Amino acid sequence: MADATMEEGETKLFERKQAIYRSLDEKYVVHGQRYMGQQYSHIYFARLHQLRNLLRSLVSKWKPHLLVNTVLGLEESKECVIVGTIYKHMKLKPSILDEYSKERSVVPLVKAHNFVHPDDHLILEDEIGRVNLKGSLLIPTAFVTGVGLALHGKKTSEGDFWVQDILEAGLPPQIKSSAHSEDKYVVFVSGLNVGSNIFNPLQFQLFVDHLTGHLGGENEQKTASQIVRLVIAGNSLIIPRSVLNGQALTPEDQSKLTEPIKELDILLTQLAAAVPLDIMPGPTDPANSFLPQQPLHRCLFPGASAYNTFFSCTNPHLFELDGFQFLGTSGQNIDDLDKYSIAENKLEYVERTLRWRHLAPTTPNTLGCYPFTEKDPFHIETCPNVYFVGNQDKYETRLLQGPENQLVRLICIPRFCESGVAVMVSLAPSLLRI
Amino acid sequence: MSAGNGKRRGVAAQAPPNPSKRFQSGSPATGNRNPNPSPAANGINGMEDELMDEDVFQEETLFMYEEEEEALRLLQDEALASRLLKWKRPALSPSYLSSLENILFQQLEIDYVIGDTNKDLLPMSSGPAAILRIFGVTKDGHSVCCHVHGFEPYFYISCPSGMGPDDISKFHQTLEGRMRESNRSSNVPRFVKRVEMVQKKSIMYYQQHETQPFFKIVVALPTMVAGCRGILERGIQLDGFGSKSFITYESNVLFALRFMIDCDIVGGNWIEVPAGKYTKAIANISYCQLEFNCLYSELISHVPEGEYSKMAPFRILSFDIECAGRKGLFPEPTHDPVIQIANLVTLQGEGQPLVRNVMTLKSCSPILGVDVMSFDTEKDILLAWRDFIREIDPDIIIGYNICKFDLPYLIERAEALKIVGFPILGRVRNSRVRVRDATFSSRQYGIRESKDITIEGRVQFDLFQAMQRDYKLSSYSLNSVSAHFLDEQKEDVHHSIISDLQNGNSETRRRLAVYCLKDAYLPQRLLDKLMYIYNYVEMARVTGVPISFLLSRGQSIKVLSQLLRKAKQRNLVIPNIKGQGSAQDTFEGATVLEAKTGFYEKPVATLDFASLYPSIMMAYNLCYCTLLTPENSRQFNLPAESINKTPSGDSFVISDLQKGILPEILEELLAARKRAKADLKEAKDPFEKAVLDGRQLALKISANSVYGFTGATVGQLPCLEISSSVTSYGRQMIEHTKKLVEERFTMLAEYEHNAEVVYGDTDSVMVQFGVPTVEAAMKLGREAAEYISGTFMKPIKLEFEKVYYPYLLISKKRYAGLYWSNPDRFDKMDTKGIETVRRDNCLLVKNLVTECLHKILIDRDVPGAVQYVKNTVSDLLMNRVDLSLLVITKGLTKTGDDYAVKAAHVELAERMRKRDAATAPNVGDRVPYVIVKAAKGAKAYERSEDPIYVLENNIPIDSQYYLENQLQKPLLRIFEPILKNAHQELFKGRHTRNLKNSTPSNSGIMKFAKKQLTCLGCKALISATDRTLCSHCKGREAELYCKTVANVAEMEVFFGRLWTQCQECQGSFHQDVLCTSRDCPIFYRRKKAQKDMAEAKMHLDRWEF
Repeated sequence: MADATMEEGETKLFERKQAIYRSLDEKYVVHGQRYMGQQYSHIYFARLHQLRNLLRSLVSKWKPHLLVNTVLGLEESKECVIVGTIYKHMKLKPSILDEYSKERSVVPLVKAHNFVHPDDHLILEDEIGRVNLKGSLLIPTAFVTGVGLALHGKKTSEGDFWVQDILEAGLPPQIKSSAHSEDKYVVFVSGLNVGSNIFNPLQFQLFVDHLTGHLGGENEQKTASQIVRLVIAGNSLIIPRSVLNGQALTPEDQSKLTEPIKELDILLTQLAAAVPLDIMPGPTDPANSFLPQQPLHRCLFPGASAYNTFFSCTNPHLFELDGFQFLGTSGQNIDDLDKYSIAENKLEYVERTLRWRHLAPTTPNTLGCYPFTEKDPFHIETCPNVYFVGNQDKYETRLLQGPENQLVRLICIPRFCESGVAVMVSLAPSLLRI
Repeated sequence: MSAGNGKRRGVAAQAPPNPSKRFQSGSPATGNRNPNPSPAANGINGMEDELMDEDVFQEETLFMYEEEEEALRLLQDEALASRLLKWKRPALSPSYLSSLENILFQQLEIDYVIGDTNKDLLPMSSGPAAILRIFGVTKDGHSVCCHVHGFEPYFYISCPSGMGPDDISKFHQTLEGRMRESNRSSNVPRFVKRVEMVQKKSIMYYQQHETQPFFKIVVALPTMVAGCRGILERGIQLDGFGSKSFITYESNVLFALRFMIDCDIVGGNWIEVPAGKYTKAIANISYCQLEFNCLYSELISHVPEGEYSKMAPFRILSFDIECAGRKGLFPEPTHDPVIQIANLVTLQGEGQPLVRNVMTLKSCSPILGVDVMSFDTEKDILLAWRDFIREIDPDIIIGYNICKFDLPYLIERAEALKIVGFPILGRVRNSRVRVRDATFSSRQYGIRESKDITIEGRVQFDLFQAMQRDYKLSSYSLNSVSAHFLDEQKEDVHHSIISDLQNGNSETRRRLAVYCLKDAYLPQRLLDKLMYIYNYVEMARVTGVPISFLLSRGQSIKVLSQLLRKAKQRNLVIPNIKGQGSAQDTFEGATVLEAKTGFYEKPVATLDFASLYPSIMMAYNLCYCTLLTPENSRQFNLPAESINKTPSGDSFVISDLQKGILPEILEELLAARKRAKADLKEAKDPFEKAVLDGRQLALKISANSVYGFTGATVGQLPCLEISSSVTSYGRQMIEHTKKLVEERFTMLAEYEHNAEVVYGDTDSVMVQFGVPTVEAAMKLGREAAEYISGTFMKPIKLEFEKVYYPYLLISKKRYAGLYWSNPDRFDKMDTKGIETVRRDNCLLVKNLVTECLHKILIDRDVPGAVQYVKNTVSDLLMNRVDLSLLVITKGLTKTGDDYAVKAAHVELAERMRKRDAATAPNVGDRVPYVIVKAAKGAKAYERSEDPIYVLENNIPIDSQYYLENQLQKPLLRIFEPILKNAHQELFKGRHTRNLKNSTPSNSGIMKFAKKQLTCLGCKALISATDRTLCSHCKGREAELYCKTVANVAEMEVFFGRLWTQCQECQGSFHQDVLCTSRDCPIFYRRKKAQKDMAEAKMHLDRWEF
């Protein structure tokens, strides 16, 4: 909104448009579950189970002449299909064991941003067995641990599996929505970083004013009135974690902690008064770290939470607006993929997760997640109309068309505090505006 | 030691011993496994090495059982039979089959049996005789069993003065008569075969005459050497001479070693038998491909050089077994079944294993790349394994703790199941494996109990023993050893779970099989990584003993072997005078110069004596045969310049008069080492390099053990005159060096500073030259080394190697410093005697000490180190230290009653058994514990507690104990040279004032306490309506919530990372982690993470109003 221009004098009133909102966050809520000492095997098991059923049905169309085999049932040089979860053996992957057990080395460890190494290789695991994957078709850099795949190939004499073809789960089916011609917009913003030194209060105030219709000429105000919802996709706050070391806080530290929260609350109150808003927690917010992150507590926002237009949601966040389905995260899932695999741009990661039908395949391996027992909530059942990812370096978007005419708008939302950019999505033909 | 031998013989119980075959009147052999022969009764208590021959009677060990009737079990299965074909050794070529080719093979094992004299080869002899068997492998991988005939056991005695060649027959008769008296039941035609008069010289003391007459007494069987020796030592009545007792010579040499020495065979070398000189056996008694008879004089032994330094492609079998124990009990062979055996066969020199298989009881899902063979009964498994061994025919059997656990267990289990055919695992047909208890005690390695298992023709190499012998580690579990050397964590399944896995389905059994396979695989990896085969074969070649001696015996046999070889060349004989001194009879050891403790911030140069003790022995010609007794010295009236008077007051003649044997051995060893090192530089081929490196290491160790041999008062040939001379010279040299350095490098002599010797150890001297740079110190160090070396007798040499800068000298044998070998960059941080590796300390001490040293030495930040200690002390008192850092681990070696004093870990094990017998530690386990707060005055052993129990019940840690008994000493040691008021500074003051303890949730007063919610902000009691905060804290909601949630977030990150790491180790996503390896650094953290997360979440949930 850096381009928001000031214009005085218009008195014309615009009525803010409304859209029917339905939150589908239920599946991401962990509340009420008590941790009973379970481990992560269950979530992998649930994931494999969900995906296997899906992939098996797909295999019968994909390679109807081939049998689906288990890893242990493989026979040498007999072609078949195996279904399982990928494990990527990574040389550079940091290990907590090393941190604990290695004696202090003289050479400091270099913090790598990307842990990909040419020697990385893939392994497929089904419920009971693992097999090394070989073949030029399967590019290790494109995959990460935790992805479910069906592979066509055969066992070699060395006991590896020679991959001849790959089947991903593909885009999930989309629920067709009745097309709307009305101009309605949803605004996405992320990375406000209130409390950090790069946070610019003026910039954000301008954004608030623009959204609430206090700024701009008739056109701008008209546009503003068409905004039916604001989604804040994570990292609204920066909590100085150094202060929180289990000790009693000094008064200065207390204010260091609470001032940004209060500041954000004031801004959110202004926004909530004008437009319905969803706030998602992100990695820097005062929320838990496991995905799905649970909603930010209302007590943090005594002002804004008084409005019924204030919705504190989970991350990932799934909702419907006038029948359009929106799915998005605060960015951890994509950032983690960026650490453990390679792609041309961030959108490609976004697309991959959709094709794998899994929001965050690297959970729980490298990305923390709650040890679910019954389900894997990150499994994408239906194809959203808009799939957004917060806290990215730059704005990127693409319209992805699936084989069954699924249309998905993929969006990378940049960090607002750095770019000053918010993203506006039109509800109608999924048009896009900044 | 003479007649009691019978009870040490392991004889097959099933084969009824034929009394006529016995030669000893001692206790008749009973049973095949012998309970501990009481060492005290045998008088070998404390002996470093017992050298005793043990006659094995071929007929007795054989075991009558028609093999043909019971076809190999594995062959019954066609699929397996085809695999076995693949595994078989390569087929023999026709020239071998028709005996036209010379047989050239690398021998690995030499033993002997008593059989009937071979009439074809030795037409003149008759009766039972010792037949040597050499087992080995040709370069094509054929297995060889060579029966060597005609070699006879013998020893020497000095000829009594006045006795001449005419008296021999008389003497012979008398001796024969005495022998027959003590072995009445025997029917050997002749005990003493011959008595010959030979001209020899004793190795002891310098003598002027060239040779003396000796009697060489040749006996019929090896064990008779000991019997005959006993008779002669006690004295016999000789007509015309009265009662005479004799000193025997070389009467303690094992028969196989005697043979090797006389035929110039060294351990693991290549032996050639020319075509035509050997005859094929009529009926093969072994499973080897090539089996033949020959005379000992026909063997050609090749010196291990050039072509003959290579290794034959041995087959190495690595295996591991799993047993299903009952709840709470360690598996016992009389009750608990063997459920799995994993095998891995590798050809020496090849990276990939030849065979990987696992045998399981009941079905087991397939494992990729592994042959899974499932059997219905235990008997089938055991017999299949036996057949597998027989078919695969391994030369070396390795594993982890196989000698103490796996092998005895299998054998005892088979016995319990009455599978008589099982223990035929050796290479001799129908010959049973012999097991007996053995105690191995050595000054160097301490006392070890083990089982002595004889598998004929196959060398056993227990990595566990090798590790204990060669490395000082904090734990010797396979897990921690492989983490240490291979950088690999291994999943550890507690033996109480094993039965559950076995009783599950084929999937859970597969799980177990994978685990079992890993345990079989890791020893092989260790063997490769540490190049054990190369190093041990080289050591055997250098010292001339069979490979099997290297693991089962101490250092002295190696020196003795070299001594015997050398003595033989010089026509010297070695008296059997062991055990003359008591173990307490020691001499002044190597003292060190007083350490001037302190923190040296200027470079300290270290001057090292290269192989000090060997050099001294060479320089001063110290040897048995150069030692001059006081009366000899008077008698010979030697000129003063021909005598070296050592600082300890002993006299040795110079090398012009008599060159010492020990110096000669040492010279050869060191020269060979030099050569090997030079060759190593040239070598390109990695295998060759490995061999050469193994050799130079073996040579170095051997050279250093010579000194120890002379000082071992209970050893084979102790000579304290030599060893005390060596150390006294050593002390003198260190003092001499100190004097020279401090005299020469002074400001008076126009050096910039006065040099100061700050410390001197056994073979090194630390000098602070006072110069500020490493480079200058190095220059001076080199100069000093050269200058001082010039004043020493050759080959004693002082070398300059390294500079410590900075250098923290704590006390004698305790120091730390940065090690510089070049002026640009330090190589490493070097510490000695400091608590960085000790295992009876908790990890906190180790971390703290390491970190402090790091800060002091590398960062040069003493205040930072002090602050770090203070923070840690504060953390400890505030109960913020991770529990795993406080865990102390001790091995439970006996049950509680057997310990004389109450020990913390033993008491704890008892308490845990009362709580839950299933998970309580058993004998052999390592018991981890922490010290907890208890009633005042409670003894330390009463305050030990299981870390997991502590975690679960919030039991407070006794931080004071950790402070005083764990941290204080090592830290003060480091800081006292640096800080003035170290104790005051570190352990008293502001940072020690805040204390925090957790309240136990399970005991005492808490049972009566009523829990009430307190405000999360200020701990005030709150009513049931306000569930979270009191009215005062209402305004601070945001802040307090942030705190709670940040805590949750942190716990979650830990939880996620820890548990996924365990999945990684385990190698599977879809199965729960079972590992209970307490050696794993994250084991407790993992457990704690679970609990912390649950707790943090509960706190968080209280916010949901």
